[in-house]
Amino acid sequence: MAALALFPAAGEAVYFRDKISWRSAIAPSEMVTVEQARGWGDSAIWVDARPDDEFANDHVPGAISLNEDRWNELLPQFLAVWVPGKKIVVYCSSLNCNASREVARRLRKEAQLSDVFVLEGGWEAWLKKNR
Amino acid sequence: MKTPILAFTVLLMMCLGALAELKWEQTMIELRPAANDKQAIGHFKYQNTGSTPVHFKSVHASCGCTTAQSQKEEVPPGDKGEITATFNIGDRTGTQVKTVTVETDEATNQRTVLTLKAEIPQQLEITPSFVFWKQGDKADTKTINVKVGKDFTVKHIKVTSSTPDFQTKVEEAGNGQFKIDVKPQDTNKIVASMLTIQPEDSQKVFYATARITNAPNVPVAPAGATAPARPTAPTGQTD
Repeated sequence: MAALALFPAAGEAVYFRDKISWRSAIAPSEMVTVEQARGWGDSAIWVDARPDDEFANDHVPGAISLNEDRWNELLPQFLAVWVPGKKIVVYCSSLNCNASREVARRLRKEAQLSDVFVLEGGWEAWLKKNR
Repeated sequence: MKTPILAFTVLLMMCLGALAELKWEQTMIELRPAANDKQAIGHFKYQNTGSTPVHFKSVHASCGCTTAQSQKEEVPPGDKGEITATFNIGDRTGTQVKTVTVETDEATNQRTVLTLKAEIPQQLEITPSFVFWKQGDKADTKTINVKVGKDFTVKHIKVTSSTPDFQTKVEEAGNGQFKIDVKPQDTNKIVASMLTIQPEDSQKVFYATARITNAPNVPVAPAGATAPARPTAPTGQTD
């Protein structure tokens, strides 16, 4: 009986393994891998959604800091260098972080920019592929 | 045969009962910070209802915007305490859900996820917060919509441009909504301007950006482009 009672929980655990509740929903088409984003070369702008101290410590070369701690201050700085037609690649620290999804969502909704992508695996994935 | 099994079961249950166990008053807290609050703080209270001490192995927040502290490393039997989760609101808006994962050395339920949900009030919703014209475009008027949050009353707003390159005009659209018409003087030169939006009788200031941009000067690769043999540097990148 006890083993039977575990079945629903086990099923949910498997079904929801990639749907952690605190993470913003995002369509697969809005995700991009490190390889794809690197392939875009100069036609992509990299946006670092991590806190200031982590950006100051290290970041993707050329990336622009845009986090929600200082959104009102940093957004105009980002918009000052944004160029129509360029893709925007937003990353945060790792696979499980949510900051990049939130920043991407706000860029789409509030600034109404298109071609905004979230980097799969974030900074950790970039590091693995580049260092 | 039945007697040893029964004895074993009773013994096991007695042992489990004697083990340390943290009972949480609640594992989810909902907060409604005020408009000007910088932080939202949740106090997750617990008590060790077991008969042996509980030790915290780790207390880990889900994001850099949240910190979590335990008052003590060891919780003796019967003792009470709390984990304090502090969420730094920054410029976030809307519903925010942050979690704190607590790991202990309990025999059962070693990992507990505490959830802090905060509803950040938004006085003004500005859409879009960015209007732009490409260099050489017709200098048409573009409109920024402003909607007053449901918990606020704003009768008038004042809009000022940081440069004289853009003219702005505010129109009250009723039902707590405003329209800001933005028109560039011309679109010949590349220029950006910060539009400051201030609700009447409020210290809080909101921003939008107006800009004349240059046209993209780089070819845009298809979305599925494969990676080059050597990493291609993003804008300004050096190896």
